[in-house]
Amino acid sequence: MIDQAAHFEDVPVAEPDEIARLRRRDSAALASVVARYQHRLYRYLRRLVREPAAADDLFQQTWLNVARQIGRYDSRRGFDTWLFAIAHNAAMDLLRRKTGESLEESGRALAAAEPDALSAAMASERTAILASEMAGLSAPYREVLTLRFEEGMKLEEIAEVTRAPLSTVKSRVGRALETLREQMTARYRKEDLL
Amino acid sequence: MTTHETIRQLLALSAAGLLDAADERRVRQHVHECSECATALDELAALSADLCRLPAPSAPPDLLARTEARVAADLAAQAGLRHSALLAVAAGLFAWMAALTTWGLYRFLTGGAGWLAWLVLTTVPAYMAAGAVAVMFASRRRLERSVL
Repeated sequence: MIDQAAHFEDVPVAEPDEIARLRRRDSAALASVVARYQHRLYRYLRRLVREPAAADDLFQQTWLNVARQIGRYDSRRGFDTWLFAIAHNAAMDLLRRKTGESLEESGRALAAAEPDALSAAMASERTAILASEMAGLSAPYREVLTLRFEEGMKLEEIAEVTRAPLSTVKSRVGRALETLREQMTARYRKEDLL
Repeated sequence: MTTHETIRQLLALSAAGLLDAADERRVRQHVHECSECATALDELAALSADLCRLPAPSAPPDLLARTEARVAADLAAQAGLRHSALLAVAAGLFAWMAALTTWGLYRFLTGGAGWLAWLVLTTVPAYMAAGAVAVMFASRRRLERSVL
């Protein structure tokens, strides 16, 4: 089971003061919040749409929408989930327009000692294979995996971002992990990494 | 569905840390006795840990600056639209007040006859002039922004 506290305690989040200044259209606050979320939001968008140029454009579009809609943000909700929901909507609009991208659902290893060079190379290759297999999953699966494992979001937060029922999110996470495990096992056997 | 099949479906969620305490206990009890599920859970847990450690794609170095510039331009355009709308309302009110001031003179000269013609002849051109002024100011602001 993943250790959520250990993995996500240093995730940068917006301060209430920054949000209040953002509402007043303070450009310094905007710059600060954009910088704070830059890596997380870009990573989410890259996982979702895969292409750097599309992720770049969606990143800018997301912040445009944030600046336009900040008056409607309810501060009782988490800013993270509100921000990612805006990014999700923009990405889904793009993916719907794109041909060949399906929006349908389809298909801690702790080292006891310092890894040697061969193990390090193999671990690096495993990471590359994992990234490649993850990119091959359908968009809804990629999305729940990045929100859960890279963003550390809870079920309720993922449901809020994706506007999907909790049961759907649970099922997506389960199927995505199982699909990934099957694909990774097949790849490891093929590449003789097991 | 047997206990094994039920638990099998919960393994991925257990590895993802998304089960409630009761279901997590059921999974732990089952994998203690079932080597097949224990192996699957180990693999899923390792996969979950690897997913947490995937290297993040790096954002282009100028993305931040381009985003700030685009948002600032958009906010300025919106502020310009609001300003133009306010200007149009203010100019309209001024035109209406100016038209009203001519009513006394018109009444003195004509005795108040043909008031509808007076209304059309004063109000419509005044409002058109106010609209034109608002458009001119908005264009000027846009031009100033583009030069800056």
